[in-house]
Amino acid sequence: MYKLLNNLINTSPSTTVLRISDGAFIPFDPANTDYQEYLEWVAEGNQPEEAE
Amino acid sequence: MASIKLKGDTSGELTIQAPAVAGTNTLDLPASSGTLLTTTGDGSQLTGLPNSYAGTKNRIINGNMRIDQRNAGASVTPANGGYTLDRWQTYINPLGKYTVQQDAGAVTPPVGFTNYLGATSTSSYSITSGDYFSITHNIEGYNIADLAWGTADAKTVTISFWVRSSLTGTFGGALRNSVANRSYPFSYTISVANTWEQKTITIPGDTTGTWVTDNGKGVALLFGLGVGSTRSGTAGSWAAANYISSTGATSVVGTSGATLYITGVQLEVGDTATDFENLQYGQQLAMCQRYFEIMGSSGSTSNGYAVCAVISSTLTRGNLWFKTEKRATPTITVAGTWYSLPQSITASASFFPSNTYNTGIGQTWSGLTVGQASYLYDGGSGTSRVLISAEL
Repeated sequence: MYKLLNNLINTSPSTTVLRISDGAFIPFDPANTDYQEYLEWVAEGNQPEEAE
Repeated sequence: MASIKLKGDTSGELTIQAPAVAGTNTLDLPASSGTLLTTTGDGSQLTGLPNSYAGTKNRIINGNMRIDQRNAGASVTPANGGYTLDRWQTYINPLGKYTVQQDAGAVTPPVGFTNYLGATSTSSYSITSGDYFSITHNIEGYNIADLAWGTADAKTVTISFWVRSSLTGTFGGALRNSVANRSYPFSYTISVANTWEQKTITIPGDTTGTWVTDNGKGVALLFGLGVGSTRSGTAGSWAAANYISSTGATSVVGTSGATLYITGVQLEVGDTATDFENLQYGQQLAMCQRYFEIMGSSGSTSNGYAVCAVISSTLTRGNLWFKTEKRATPTITVAGTWYSLPQSITASASFFPSNTYNTGIGQTWSGLTVGQASYLYDGGSGTSRVLISAEL
């Protein structure tokens, strides 16, 4: 499970997602293997939790 | 005839001298034309040597198993895809059949080495066709681009390593591309139990297939610890398949307490295994930290990590700079308890946005004054860590 994050400084879209199981901050970098797993998870039809 | 002398046209001469010992030595010249070796000055500087004899010949990082940032020598039962010693990953299905530890069993490493990676079977598990257990090293594409794999000019490589097992027999492994549709299973034999043996395997470059040459996964080197028939192939040839090991290889996980220890792993261009490339510790650590680093100390001394600016009554922002620029923007994970001053609260920080050389830190407070600063530290618990991972 994942959760989107708000950008803390401005209103631009966040480029990081939180992996809830271990609290990992995963950047939206296509070369990041955790982000690749996240994209696969989304491609399977899953949706991350909305940012607070 | 002990020597041959070649006289110059006017003066000077070249002597080819045979050694004064028994045995045969051969000076083997290639059939092609051209200058083989060039000397300059007093002859101490040589050019024309192949790349295998120059610096950074070894495409394996931490092949001598010295760096263990995550576990500092502790035994772990790895997750599938989890990393153990630096740069050494595991592929496991099903989980929980072996442990990995730096210097497991505390045996004396081979001469010239101080550490090894030790895998130990935790049960007598009978593998099924779809099972696989491996120790894996992923080489970044940038570091194998010169091999020209996937082209007609693909270069031959040679893998060498020291291995020791409580079992004897034929063992296996493989080279594989990033999308796991090209692989080359190999086998090696361990003749004597509980004895270090050095193995050498020469593999022709793959002239087909897709091989990543950027910051993605270039080549995976896998050592099998027990692999079912689905992921096992005939040793000694390239296949359009996802093989992890060779058919018929010994299953380490099949015997409770069985061990497989490895060190001195080298993958180099050419058909000859040369001496292991020993790097200085700092060089090797920095190479590992391109993929993973830890901020935090295992000792009891409190360590500071960042000074952050108060940007609103409820928010501080700062940056944490990595020791080494990362392969990709890393995943940040926080372990243990962190503290912040001046309000001395237990910190719950957010680590983003990040790039390849730093990450932002954000903390939510109350009653702050804009323009003040906060100080993030670990309290000396010895367990507080920021884990920064850009692994392949």
